[in-house]
Amino acid sequence: MIEIALAGNPNTGKTSLFNILTNSYEYVGNWSGVTVEKKVGMLNNKKGHLIDLPGIYSLNPLSRDEGVATRFLIEENFSMVLNIVDASQLERNLYLTIQLLEYGKPVVIGLNMVDVAKGRGIMVNEKKLSEKLQSPVLPIVARTGSGCKELAGLLTNEEQKNKPLYISYGQPLEQAMETLAAKMHGVENLPPKRWLALQFFEGNEVVHGLLKTMIPEAELQRIFTETEALVQSKEGAKSLSYHIRAIRAQYIKGVLDVSLQKGEEVTYTLTDRIDNIVTNKFLGIPIFILFMYLIFKLTFDWLGSPISDMLDAFLTGPLTDGLTSMLQAAGASAFIKAVILDGIVAGVGGVLVFVPQIMILFFLISFIEDSGYMARIAMVMDKTLESIGLNGKAFIPMIIGFGCNVPGIMAARTIEQPKERLLTIILTPLMSCSARLSVYSLFVGAFFTQNQALVVLSLYLLGIVIALTLAKIFSSTILKEESSMFVIELPPYRIPQWRTLMRNTWEKGKGFIKKAGTFIFGGSVIIWFLSYAGPGGLGVDMNKSFLALIGGVLAPLFEPIGFGSWQAGAALITGFLAKEVVVSTMNIIYVAPDLHTLQGIMANHFTSLSAYSFMAFLLLYVPCLATVAVIKKETGSAKWTWFSIIYALLIAYIVSLIIYQGGKLLGF
Amino acid sequence: MVLTDIKAGGKAKITNTEHVNVLVRRRLLDLGIMEGTEVSIKRILPFGGPFAVEAGGQWVGIRRSEAKLIQVSHP
Repeated sequence: MIEIALAGNPNTGKTSLFNILTNSYEYVGNWSGVTVEKKVGMLNNKKGHLIDLPGIYSLNPLSRDEGVATRFLIEENFSMVLNIVDASQLERNLYLTIQLLEYGKPVVIGLNMVDVAKGRGIMVNEKKLSEKLQSPVLPIVARTGSGCKELAGLLTNEEQKNKPLYISYGQPLEQAMETLAAKMHGVENLPPKRWLALQFFEGNEVVHGLLKTMIPEAELQRIFTETEALVQSKEGAKSLSYHIRAIRAQYIKGVLDVSLQKGEEVTYTLTDRIDNIVTNKFLGIPIFILFMYLIFKLTFDWLGSPISDMLDAFLTGPLTDGLTSMLQAAGASAFIKAVILDGIVAGVGGVLVFVPQIMILFFLISFIEDSGYMARIAMVMDKTLESIGLNGKAFIPMIIGFGCNVPGIMAARTIEQPKERLLTIILTPLMSCSARLSVYSLFVGAFFTQNQALVVLSLYLLGIVIALTLAKIFSSTILKEESSMFVIELPPYRIPQWRTLMRNTWEKGKGFIKKAGTFIFGGSVIIWFLSYAGPGGLGVDMNKSFLALIGGVLAPLFEPIGFGSWQAGAALITGFLAKEVVVSTMNIIYVAPDLHTLQGIMANHFTSLSAYSFMAFLLLYVPCLATVAVIKKETGSAKWTWFSIIYALLIAYIVSLIIYQGGKLLGF
Repeated sequence: MVLTDIKAGGKAKITNTEHVNVLVRRRLLDLGIMEGTEVSIKRILPFGGPFAVEAGGQWVGIRRSEAKLIQVSHP
């Protein structure tokens, strides 16, 4: 089995290409040492693995995560690199290509977005480009799949042999690279020494780290300073990295002179026109809020709820009836019947009902991600976020957090400044995720039938407002930032591709279904059992069950915020496992056969005001188990993990107290 | 003259980026924006918000405070 690395700049269509060339993920995990997602796919012809490297501009990493690609080249065994380049941004893209070619492994170049380039009057002669770079170049359009079959054919062609691309960096630097290369020994399977030396002189920290294992740090420092001084005096360069970049730029220019033709440039593109509206002075933020509102409308009123209702009707109707008669026929005992019908069907079914809504939300978030609008939102929000000690990029994890906090927190790694990243990580859990949505759906269906979308939107906004307020407080007290930075690439708008959207939606949404099958399944059985058993034995009145006892301990604490019943206490405890378990728990403890009955029963236990207070508390009170685990992983700090749990509990209590007591004063 | 002196829709040639934050400069370099690059100002967001500049078909958003430190000349 051959291993092929897929490398390219961000926003060049890497994911689309990956999806087209592979049919399934062999493996999705993390790169060792860092929590950057590692995706490995099986090529369609089953002859090799494709490894998706993170999008990078250069092998010289700026953030810790960008180092993953360099580390891959140094440490892992692979036979070929598939380099995807954006034909409309060839000059910048070739900068990475050059470094890959210098490495010396065979490189196949997929020249993507030839259509976009053509639209901008750029014609690339791929034959000349291929000659110049001494590697196969194939024009493709990854979005439509055009040319990708031919590209796939090249990947498993094992004939291809490459020798490293050689660019002369001038006598002083060449001399220094030779001297340095001669000192590298004692480590097995070293990458090409000239490449290592060059990367070291360019300032690559990862390579520096590797060289330190062979050469004393003091000597490395000495060689670096001497070489830099020499290059500065002899070549008149500002610094070593500038010198190297200038030579490469010159080389790239030579390549492009023969392979690129520029025609009339179209100055007013579709992207300009759209941007004129969505990043407009006055309309930018209102348009964003309108978008979010439409998303909620679609998820609840227009599309999600009708489908969820149909699913609910199926689960409680034909499925439950079928199961009942099967159990009857099999002669199951009353206990078994209760476990299955009151425990599992109520618990798991209660959560599964919300799968359509959650899938729709994930679909819409994927749409925003792929369309190019996300980067605009980040820019529109930057000024606001800067004033509270974050930067515009922090908004992206937060929006993804609406789907699920776990990938949201992972998305925070695109933020370069460590403190801004930490702040984003601990505040992202305040973004109301789709699991919480299932609880809102339950409550708004019972108490706010007239204004479902509006009430839910208000909760999302509550989460955002509190997150922003806390950001301001934290950034001016415990997380003071020395310097903040914000540079964001604004990709052209594209209509997202159906295939990519479906795959993204499924990748994100399947976790939810898996949870329902494992976690919530097990949890439902336990919760049901705790409600069935009590100090008095089995089959006790639920008010005398273990669950009532446990929930009862917390009930007095929740009295001032509007829901001092053991049922609410028990539901909230189980909600720590996963927020949607609250729905399962309520289904079980209120012994509700279906959604509408449950909503009817709940009307006796809550008022509109206490229901709203409960939803606000649920939104804020504590990140779920999976989120806590990812916070621990991403921050690498138990202290910050505990902090994110405790501050959330405090805030939740205070906010619910204000809502409930304030609401009562106002006469609700 | 600095980048923020240019109006939306205008063009300029970058002459010096030395005063810009090191990280920002490195990232701009990655995106192909450096001394000698010709940029056009695409959008200026309100209330002191970011600048969207275009260079060679590439759009990049940077903060106004950073744009103030980029010296430019007429193209």
